[in-house]
Amino acid sequence: MERGQSTGEITRRALLRALGALGLSGLLVPLLGNPRGVSAQGNLANLGPEEPVDATMKRLFGSRPIKDGTASIKLDLPLIAENGAVVPVSVDVSAPMTPQNHVKAIYIISDKNRRPLNAKFSLTPAMGQAYVGTNLRLGESTEVRAVVEMSDGTLLQAKREVKVTVGGCGG
Amino acid sequence: MAEIGRVRIRVPSSIKPGDIVKVRVLVIHPMEIVQRKDGKPVDKNYHFINRVIVTYLDKEVAQFETSQSVSENPFFTFSFKATEPGVLRITFLDTHGGKYEGTADVKFS
Repeated sequence: MERGQSTGEITRRALLRALGALGLSGLLVPLLGNPRGVSAQGNLANLGPEEPVDATMKRLFGSRPIKDGTASIKLDLPLIAENGAVVPVSVDVSAPMTPQNHVKAIYIISDKNRRPLNAKFSLTPAMGQAYVGTNLRLGESTEVRAVVEMSDGTLLQAKREVKVTVGGCGG
Repeated sequence: MAEIGRVRIRVPSSIKPGDIVKVRVLVIHPMEIVQRKDGKPVDKNYHFINRVIVTYLDKEVAQFETSQSVSENPFFTFSFKATEPGVLRITFLDTHGGKYEGTADVKFS
C-alpha cells in the first residue's frame, strides 16, 4: 500500500494522467513548464542556460558595476569571420599578476549566441600574465565581450563586433 | 572518432627560468551541438568538454569552464610563469565522464 498512500499533494504525473484521460493535458503545459524544454537542456542546465545576454550578465555579476576596460584589455578577434564554427579569440589583460592584485577570471560572452556565456577562465598569479585564447562558435554576427574580474572584485569589460558570414551553431 | 581525447601540447623549445611561456594545447573532441555527425538530433546529454584543469609542478594554476560555444577540437592558449623544470599537465573533463590528459616537460636550455 506504499503507492496508494495519500501524501496530501497531487503529483505532476498523477495530474497529467488524469487530465490526459480527459484530453486536457495540452492546457497544462504552460502551467507546469514544458517537459521537453527541460530535457533538451540536458546536462547544460548548470552551465549556461539558454537566455538573453542581459540575463547572463545579471546572473554572473548581479548589479556590480562593470567598468570600461578597453585601455587594459586587448581583445583580439577577426572583424569578419567567414566561418562561424571557428572564430579565434584571445584576451590579453595588461595587469600585474601578483598575489595581492591579479586577474581572477576572464569571461567570454557573445551576445547573440543561444547560450551567451562561452567560457570562463579562472586564473591564478602563477600564470604570470593574464593571457588566454581559444576558438569560438558564433551563431551570427554578434558582439563579443570579455569581462575581466580582478582579485579585488573590480569588473572590466571590452567589446568587439564580429561579422559572421556562415553561422557555426546550427549544427 | 577513435581519436577522441588525444591531447597535443606545444611549449616553446627554449625557455629560460622566470620566463612567461605561452602554451598552445589542442584536444580532439567533437564538442557536440544540436546534431550528431550522422544528422540525428541530440535530445540531451550533449558530449562536450566542460572543464579544463592546468597544473604545473602539481599545483593547479588555472581552470577553464567551457561550453558548446567552443569549437570542435578545442584549442586553447594561455601563459604561465616557468619557475622550475617540471611537468605541465593539462586535464580535460567532458560531460560523459571522460578524462583526457596531456603532459609536457618544461626544461630549461
